[in-house]
Amino acid sequence: MSKVFEGYERQYCELSANLSKKITSASLLDGEQKKQKVSEIKGGFEDAEALIRKMDLEARSLPPNVKATLLAKLREYKTDLNNLKTEVKRITSANANQAARDELLESGMADTMMASADQRTRLIMSTERLNQSSDRIRESRKTMLETEELGVSILQDLHQQRQSLLHAHNTLHGVDDNISRSKKVLTNMSRRMSRNKWIIGSIITVLVIAIILILYFKLTH
Amino acid sequence: MSDHIARGEDFEKKAEKKLSGWGLFGSKYEDAADLFDKAANSFKLAKSWDQAGAVYVKLANCHLKLDSKHEAANAFADAAHCYKKSNIKESISCLEQSVNLFLDIGRLNMSARYYKEIAELYEQEQNLEQAIVYYERAADLFQSEEVTTSANQCKQKVAQFAAQLEQYQKAIEIYEEIARQSLNNNLLKYGVKGHLLNAGICQLCKGDVVAISNALEKYQELDPTFSGTREYKLLRDLAAAVDEEDIAKFTDAVKEFDSMTQLDAWKTTLLLRVKEALKAKELEEDDLT
Repeated sequence: MSKVFEGYERQYCELSANLSKKITSASLLDGEQKKQKVSEIKGGFEDAEALIRKMDLEARSLPPNVKATLLAKLREYKTDLNNLKTEVKRITSANANQAARDELLESGMADTMMASADQRTRLIMSTERLNQSSDRIRESRKTMLETEELGVSILQDLHQQRQSLLHAHNTLHGVDDNISRSKKVLTNMSRRMSRNKWIIGSIITVLVIAIILILYFKLTH
Repeated sequence: MSDHIARGEDFEKKAEKKLSGWGLFGSKYEDAADLFDKAANSFKLAKSWDQAGAVYVKLANCHLKLDSKHEAANAFADAAHCYKKSNIKESISCLEQSVNLFLDIGRLNMSARYYKEIAELYEQEQNLEQAIVYYERAADLFQSEEVTTSANQCKQKVAQFAAQLEQYQKAIEIYEEIARQSLNNNLLKYGVKGHLLNAGICQLCKGDVVAISNALEKYQELDPTFSGTREYKLLRDLAAAVDEEDIAKFTDAVKEFDSMTQLDAWKTTLLLRVKEALKAKELEEDDLT
């Protein structure tokens, strides 16, 4: 039975070597030939997968000690096949991009071929483009100068505001001094007022006492 | 609107009655002043500026009788603001009275500001000589209050009008003075080249070629960065054109400068004068030859 397995194994090894050779050659080609090779490779993949399945069946039907080693080999072959598949995918994806780019550049090449056939129009186009860019530069220079003028006037306004702020600051200091002076004057006034009140109060009491004394002496005599 | 007018007239009549009648404790002037104030307010709301102005003047007279010059001056200023909308001459006379009162009190700042207002009114009326007079007075007062920026602004206007009236020497001196003062100041130094350009244009208008080249050198010394600017280039080209009496070169230089930054009306007028002078000289030479 292992002979069958070995037979499958040999076939698989041949197939995988073949496939890897085809992949390397396909990555060098492009366009239609590449597509052909890729489809060939895909066919080879299918064969390889069928072989692996058969090997799997064989390995399971064998006695256990051999089975383990055979299954390990099988796993190696499977990873190998997966690697080949990813390589093919990489090539085809690059292929897809490449194909699209080829299509784009093909039409582009046709255009430039038409323009270079007519040198004069190309020169005219480039001079026009240069003129446009120099116009744009001049416009931006104008805008920059206007902005500069605006900035200068803003600076002048700032200067003026700075001076009025300083002036207000000084005035406020003066106001502060005046307020403290007026506070002193007011406290003076209130002190004098209370002093006057005391004096008047004491005079009134003295007079009242005098009146009472006089009345008293008058009444007792 | 009409009820405001009616209310205003009502207040005015009451105030007049108070003034003409007797009052207790001599408070009649203060009450009358209050009523006048209310009357003027309602007239302002009704937008009848003449009546409002007249009432403010009466209010000011009341305050004068009360010896509160500050209030009176304020009232005159309010009257002037009302008259600004309708009758400019009245407004100017009110402002003058207000300014005199402020000068009496010693509030130079306010009086300088009102002088500037008067000058602006004259400028609106295109009475440039009077405007110059008042701007100069305002600039002097601002200078004494050390408010240099406002002083510089007023002086700039003086120089502008002086150049328009062909008093070039005065204008040149003022511009150079302003440029010198602005150099020291971090904020103002970017405006220096504008001032030097104005001074240079006035020099050109005077027409003295030697003086122009001397002046350009002097400006160079004043401000080392001046020679790199487009203004300097313009002045140099214009000086060369005047020297060679080449009108095409003159026009070219002006056009080049104009394509970058629009020339304002004042500069255009002065440059036009220079061009006419050049043309006249050219015609003269043709006649002689």
